[in-house]
Amino acid sequence: MKYTTFNQESNDTMKEPMFFGSPVNVARYDQQKHPIFEKLIEKQISFFWRPEEVDVSKDRMDFQKLSDAERHIFTSNLKYQTLLDSVQGRSPNIAFLPIISIPELETWVETWSFFETIHSRSYTHILRNLFTDPSEIFDDIVVNEEIAKRATDISKYYDDLIFATQLWQTKGEGEHVVDGETHLITMRELKKKLYLCMNSVNALEAIRFYVSFACTFAFAERELMEGNSKIIRLIARDENIHLTSTQHVLNLWAKGKDDPEMAEIAAECHEEAKAIFLKAVQQEKEWAHYLFKNGSMLGLNEEILCQYVEYIANHRMAAIGMGQPFEIKSNPLPWMNNYLNSDNVQVAPQETEISSYLVGQIDSEVASDDFEAFEL
Amino acid sequence: MRVDGLHSVFSESDDKSLLEHLESNNIEVHYHCREGYCGACRTKLNEGNVDYHIDPLAFIDDDEILPCCCKPTSDIDITLY
Ligand code: FES
Ligand SMILES: [Fe+2]
Ligand SMILES: [Fe+2]
Repeated sequence: MKYTTFNQESNDTMKEPMFFGSPVNVARYDQQKHPIFEKLIEKQISFFWRPEEVDVSKDRMDFQKLSDAERHIFTSNLKYQTLLDSVQGRSPNIAFLPIISIPELETWVETWSFFETIHSRSYTHILRNLFTDPSEIFDDIVVNEEIAKRATDISKYYDDLIFATQLWQTKGEGEHVVDGETHLITMRELKKKLYLCMNSVNALEAIRFYVSFACTFAFAERELMEGNSKIIRLIARDENIHLTSTQHVLNLWAKGKDDPEMAEIAAECHEEAKAIFLKAVQQEKEWAHYLFKNGSMLGLNEEILCQYVEYIANHRMAAIGMGQPFEIKSNPLPWMNNYLNSDNVQVAPQETEISSYLVGQIDSEVASDDFEAFEL
Repeated sequence: MRVDGLHSVFSESDDKSLLEHLESNNIEVHYHCREGYCGACRTKLNEGNVDYHIDPLAFIDDDEILPCCCKPTSDIDITLY
């Protein structure tokens, strides 16, 4: 079905599934099939922040004090996060927008992606301050083998879905030969690709940042690289809300509260989806191994980081009906919670209150005597 | 209330969230945001009712609650994950 930027047929979006229904026409939010996405948009926007507001200048001195092993940990993590946000800043838009059929989800995806671009810009802000020329760091992201391994797994489900959608939207269902290769395009296949892609994105938001976050906050526990840590806290807050959105999508499908065919696919592809999650867990553990190859850092080692990944994975897999596959029952890094808690996130030093409460609070109640001095 | 089979008393005048109450009784509950949007504190409600003072945005099942943003309004029986 050809994509149209403004579907001229009137349709009732209250009856449309989240994906693969008729394209959205009017961006209206007065009626919502799944009001949770509108709530997530509001929450996410209330978190608005700008990297430039965070003073990272002191980090430059701290960075000079770090050991070589610690510098490797620090810059490698920034490279990995840069990769993740490069993907996330564009892919939900490109993969999901052409197939979304309800306005509140469409706008949520756009809002989500926009915040990922703030994350990307913040890495340049951090690196510019640490290095006179950060281009070496950025250039390595594409050639570094450890990062490339992860990049393949992160982007392949998106790429698959995007390609199949393009074929479907230009040629329709059927067998299509492209560059000598035959592709079978059916609605069922498209939906399967979407389901696997959503699981891969969910695993990314749930797991893939946490080794890096733990290292950042372990530096902050030693009062090092605190500007960076402040930025990472803002990023972590956003990532939590992104994760909430993918969990909602997956559960709406699995519980039959949206497209009934997606409920069938969720049951059918349960093991495959679980394997995607477990692979992300495995890759995070390997990442911890790579980070500490030259020596560990004070307060953290490979073993405890891997336990933390398992602990987080248990909670996040359980949230989407995948059970708790790992033994670990209590949090091996309890101090992490202090950094992941909204109350402690401050945008600028002059702000003494929670940014999410301050931003966007405009008093809409205007008392009648406010106008008394006006003559009309 | 009962937490994993153990008894604990939540007084009605308490303006703490259920999460804060559990913490002040040295019961470890997983949390991140403490504001209802991350789902880290997701807990099973076996019996009883709660009231939310912050709209819960994180995904929870029909028999689950987010202790960071609610208070019990009756005797409750919960299981921590
Ligand atoms: S701690 Fe985030 S939802 Fe309760
Ligand atoms: Fe991000
Ligand atoms: Fe994200």
